[in-house]
Amino acid sequence: MTADAIPVASQEPVAPVRRFRRRPLTPAEVMQRALGHTLIVLLALFCVVPFAWLVLSAVDANAGPNVQLPAFSFENFGRFFTNSGTPLLLLNSLIIGIAGTTLNLVLGLTGGYALARFAFRGRRTFMFSILLIRVVPAPATIVALYLIMVNLHLTNSLIGLILVEAVLQLPVTLWLLKGTISAVPIELEEAAWVDGNTRFQAIRRIVLPLVGPGLGAAAMLTFMGIWGDFLTPLVMLQSQELYPLSIGLFRAFSEHNQVDWGLLAASAIVYVLPPAVLYVFVRKHLLHSSLGGAVKG
Amino acid sequence: MTSITDAPASAAVGIRPPSPKRRSGRRTRHSALLLLLLGPAAVLIAAFIVAPAVYSVYLSFTNTQLTGFAARDPQFVGFDNFVYLLTNADFIASIGHTGEFVLYSAIIGQTVLGMVAALILSRPWIRGKGLYGAAILMPMVVPEVVASLTWASVLSSDSSGTLNQLTGLFGAASTDWLQVVPMASIIAVNIWRGIAFAMIMFQAALEDVPAELIEAARIDGASAVQVFRHVTLPLIRGPVFLYLLLTTISTVGAFGLVYLLTQGGPGGQTRIAAIYIYERALQFSQIGIGSAASIILLAIVLILGFVYVRLAKVEV
Repeated sequence: MTADAIPVASQEPVAPVRRFRRRPLTPAEVMQRALGHTLIVLLALFCVVPFAWLVLSAVDANAGPNVQLPAFSFENFGRFFTNSGTPLLLLNSLIIGIAGTTLNLVLGLTGGYALARFAFRGRRTFMFSILLIRVVPAPATIVALYLIMVNLHLTNSLIGLILVEAVLQLPVTLWLLKGTISAVPIELEEAAWVDGNTRFQAIRRIVLPLVGPGLGAAAMLTFMGIWGDFLTPLVMLQSQELYPLSIGLFRAFSEHNQVDWGLLAASAIVYVLPPAVLYVFVRKHLLHSSLGGAVKG
Repeated sequence: MTSITDAPASAAVGIRPPSPKRRSGRRTRHSALLLLLLGPAAVLIAAFIVAPAVYSVYLSFTNTQLTGFAARDPQFVGFDNFVYLLTNADFIASIGHTGEFVLYSAIIGQTVLGMVAALILSRPWIRGKGLYGAAILMPMVVPEVVASLTWASVLSSDSSGTLNQLTGLFGAASTDWLQVVPMASIIAVNIWRGIAFAMIMFQAALEDVPAELIEAARIDGASAVQVFRHVTLPLIRGPVFLYLLLTTISTVGAFGLVYLLTQGGPGGQTRIAAIYIYERALQFSQIGIGSAASIILLAIVLILGFVYVRLAKVEV
C-alpha cells in the first residue's frame, strides 16, 4: 500500500517486498483507496462550501443572505471604498494591526535578545511563566483588563488597544525570537565587537539580518492574531469611529432588518485578504529559508 | 548575577566567551543593559497579562459593579460570589454547555477529522495533496467574524440557505438550524474551524513514525486499522495529548464564534461559560460575579490540563 515509503537506502532486503507490492491491488486495497479519496474530498468540501456565499455575494450586485447565482459586478467593492463608514474600518484595522505588530516586534526583539544572550536568575522561570499564563482563557481576564485600562484612561482609544494587542501576543513572540536569536552563534557578534562595533551596532548588522525567518513568523502570527481579534476591541472600544473591521462587520451583521448583504460580503473579503495573503506568502518564504539553512548545515 | 553566555545558555552556564575584556566589574552595565532590553516587555506583560489575572482573583471576592452603589464602594464579600454561582442554575448550565462544546467539537470532532485528514494526506497514492491541504486550511486562516458570517448563511433559516438546499435534495423540510439545534450547529462550526490545526499537528507527528515499523506490521498481516491502533497511535500519543491540551484550552476560551452566531441563545442553549462571563460582567455590570465565574472556569481548565499531562505520561 505504501510502496513509495520504503526507504531507498536498504535496497537488497527490500527488493522482494517491492516485487510483492507491484502486483495488482487487492480488492481491499482498492476499497481503502476509494474510501480515502471519498473522505478527503468530503472533508475538503465541508471546509470550502461555507465560503460559497461569501465569494458569490461579494461580486453580486443583488446579493442576498443566501447563495445565488451572482449578477456579476465589482460594485460592492466600489461601495466599500466610497461608503462613508467602511474605509474608516479598514484604516482602523490597519493602524491597529501595523502599529501593534511593530510594537510587538520591537519589544520581542529586545526582550528576546536579552533572554537569549544574558544568563540571569529567574530567566527560565520568566520564560515558562509567560508560556503558562496563556492557559488562562481570554474571556476570563478581559473584565479585569478592562478595569485596569479604565483606570489608566486607555479605554476607547486606539493607543490603548494597540498597547494591549501588542502585549497579548508578546509571549509567543518572545519565545520565537529567543529561540531564533539563540541559534545565531555568539561568535559572530563577538567578531563584530572586536571589529569595533558597539553592542547595538552588532545586533543591527549581525543578528537582525540572520533572524529574518523567525521575525517573519513572529510578525505573521502577531498580525493575524491582532487582525482577527474580536473580543478585545469589542470590550475596549465604544466609539464607532474607532471600530476595526471585526467590530464593524459584527455591527453591520447584527442590524437584522437592514443588512446590506453585498457590502457585508465585500467587506468580509477585504477583511480576509491580508491574513490570507500573508499566510501564503510567509509560509512559502519560511519553508524556503529553513530548507536553505538545512542544506547549508 | 548577570553575565554573557554562549547561545544555548543552560549548557554553558559559567563558561564565558574567552574575551578578557568583558569580565566582572561590568556587571552593573550588563544589568542596566538587561533592564533596558527586557524591562519594557516584562513590565508590559506584568501590567496587561499578569495583573488582570491576579486582579480577577481579587475581584471575585468583592461585589464590584460597573454602575450603582457597589461601583463607588466595592465590599469584600468572601466566597459569596462562588456560593451564588455554584447554586445558580444558569451558571451550572453554562459550564455544562462549555463541557459539551469542548467534548464534541474539540476532543472528538476536530481530533478525529484532523487525524483522518492527516492520515489520508500521508498516503503516497493521494494526488493533489496541496489542494486538499489548502482547502482544509482555509477555515483556520479566516478571522472568526468572517467564519461566523459564512456559517450564518449556511445555517440560514431560509429555504434557500445552503444547508437547507442540501437537505432539500434528500427531501427534508427547511429547518432554522440555529433555533432548532443551536448547540449542534455551533459544534459543527467549531469543528470546521479546528480541523486544520489538528491536521497540522498530526501530520508533523506522523512524519516522525518510522515507515519500517508500519511496513513490518503490514507484512505481518496487520490490517490498516490494526496498524493505526497498535503501531501508529502509541507512537504519536505525546503529540496527540499535546494537541488535546491546546485545543481544550482554546475551546474553553472560545467566545467570538459562538457569540457572533447565537449570542448565547436561543433561551441560553448556547450560553457557554465565556458568554456567561461576558454577559454578567459587561452587560449586567456584575464584575464580582463575572470574575468569580472566570476563576471557576480557569480552575476547570487547570484540572483538565493536569489530567492530560498525567494521561500522556502514565499509560504505556
